Amino acid sequence: MDTFLQQLANGLTIGSMYALVALGYTMVYGVMRLINFAHGDMVAASAFVGLTIYTQVLGQAVSLGAVIAIFLLSAVVMAAVGVILERIAYRPLREAPRLSAVVSALGASLVIQNGIMLIWGPQMRIFPELVPQVYWDFGGVVISLIQVIILVLSLVLMVALYLFVEKTRMGAAIRASSIDQDAARLMGINVNSVIALIFIIGSSLGAVGGLFIGLYYRGITFNMGWQYGLYAFVAAIIGGIGNIPGAMLGGMLLGLFNAFISGYVSSTWSDAFTFILLIIILIVRPTGILGERVAEKV
Amino acid sequence: MKKLQGFGYPIFFAVLAVLPYVLDSRWQAVAITFLIFTVVALSQDIILGKCGMFNMGQALFFGIGAYTTAILNTHYGWPLLATIPLAILIPAIFGVILAGPIVHLRGDYLLVTTIGFNIVFVQVVQNNLGGITGGPNGIFGIDSMKLFGVGLVSQESVYYLAFAVLLLTLWIMRNLEKSKVGRAMHYLREDQLAAESIGINTRIYKIFAFALGAGIAGLAGTVFAVQYSAVSPEAFDFMQSVLFFSIVIVGGSSVPGVLIGVFVMFVLPEVFREFATWRFFIFGFAMIVSMILRPRGIWPATFGKIPKFLIKGGSHGA
Repeated sequence: MDTFLQQLANGLTIGSMYALVALGYTMVYGVMRLINFAHGDMVAASAFVGLTIYTQVLGQAVSLGAVIAIFLLSAVVMAAVGVILERIAYRPLREAPRLSAVVSALGASLVIQNGIMLIWGPQMRIFPELVPQVYWDFGGVVISLIQVIILVLSLVLMVALYLFVEKTRMGAAIRASSIDQDAARLMGINVNSVIALIFIIGSSLGAVGGLFIGLYYRGITFNMGWQYGLYAFVAAIIGGIGNIPGAMLGGMLLGLFNAFISGYVSSTWSDAFTFILLIIILIVRPTGILGERVAEKV
Repeated sequence: MKKLQGFGYPIFFAVLAVLPYVLDSRWQAVAITFLIFTVVALSQDIILGKCGMFNMGQALFFGIGAYTTAILNTHYGWPLLATIPLAILIPAIFGVILAGPIVHLRGDYLLVTTIGFNIVFVQVVQNNLGGITGGPNGIFGIDSMKLFGVGLVSQESVYYLAFAVLLLTLWIMRNLEKSKVGRAMHYLREDQLAAESIGINTRIYKIFAFALGAGIAGLAGTVFAVQYSAVSPEAFDFMQSVLFFSIVIVGGSSVPGVLIGVFVMFVLPEVFREFATWRFFIFGFAMIVSMILRPRGIWPATFGKIPKFLIKGGSHGA
């Protein structure tokens, strides 16, 4: 029972990180029908940007203000990178064949990943200890302060995003653009700024996710983006890609599934089990758990 | 470009035929790799380019072929030549089994599923399932090829084996394009709904494309295993699949395009060794720029005698 509760706590922590990153995928896919393969590498880049802000800008000071500054600055930097990325790599290809944009995204992923390596080096870097190591022991189940922060902050961000998309005018513009860009344009929605907006939101949430990964796992490497990016993408697909609550649900499910596989079976098999789960879900529900049945665009 | 291809191919093949005699052994090895990767990229093109299915797991079939040869040779003592039929058949069977349940998925979902298969495969061989894959280190000590009792130990003979496999692949693809199957695949790619309504069984052709592409990739895997007399999991990981996928799209899903793509991805880095750390950084930019400048690929494929006005722009892929 202890293992169960412990893995439940770990799974929810990992799951909320996946969910945060998955939101970036799902929003971009929802509006542009594009798998933004560079998103995972942006998440990795955010951890390195956070590291540099900590060492260079803040002079390695640790305080609540410093932590908030790291999160805000990283989010701003990554939002800017996201907008530039869309402008350079995706906008010229909006009318091009679908796969051209996919290859462009893969190219962008290589550029960012190897850009991190060229700037920060190929070796593993240790992320600063920004949050004090506080643990609570609930009868054998150990929960750390970092886990609580990750879980609570992720939930707050996700609820805020959900309310933003469902209740505000900009949110309505995003929803309209994801249903039909041309119709949205006819209604006076500036689709270009909607796309810029989803890249800003997606990249900032990814930046927070990347910093969480740094805080939780401590070791960060230039090529870790593929791993987390792919997992988050799987989470988005499991939930039904293009669907915001689906990404949250998918992220949590995937995190729990991963944690239980690692806890009860073996961590060396967790990737294989994750993808077998994905394949089974797609065979049973080809558009994900919360995905709606959509007709193929002809 | 059609004219260029007319006399370009004979010259190209003549150059390839005498190449081993002008290269030293390091460049011979590079040339062999070029031939093998070209075959894999062409097999990827059958599924992705000709049929329009988003497959991003071609290294999986390449790997199954290589591992089939390696396991049969080192564990069961089969001569390499005898492993070839199985190294084609087993990947092809896997192609059918894996593709069967998923070919109806929408493009991007298919893409993720094939990525998934590739990752599952790499974990299976890394974890040494059944104790025959050699785990993370792979399998070493594969024999050299023997033909009619004569050992093909030299690098030149491996080169000509790879060259023969490339010619065979090109011959298959040429026949495919002219055949009923090739036309069916083409219509399937252009418009699945229309293809179905004129009576093409899209499901069968899709699975067939996977089986054929997988079989050819498996054969290339055998040559790969012979060249290095070893196989290891990272040679067939998901990153390799991404490269094959990109080569086909950047090249434009034509034979010259694939040749250019493989040359740029795998041969040029050998020329510019001192920039090794910059390799993927520059490639990433090159991929973006080439897609922006030529969205349909560097050397787009043309098909048969379909009039230009029937081929609408921007319909490549689903």
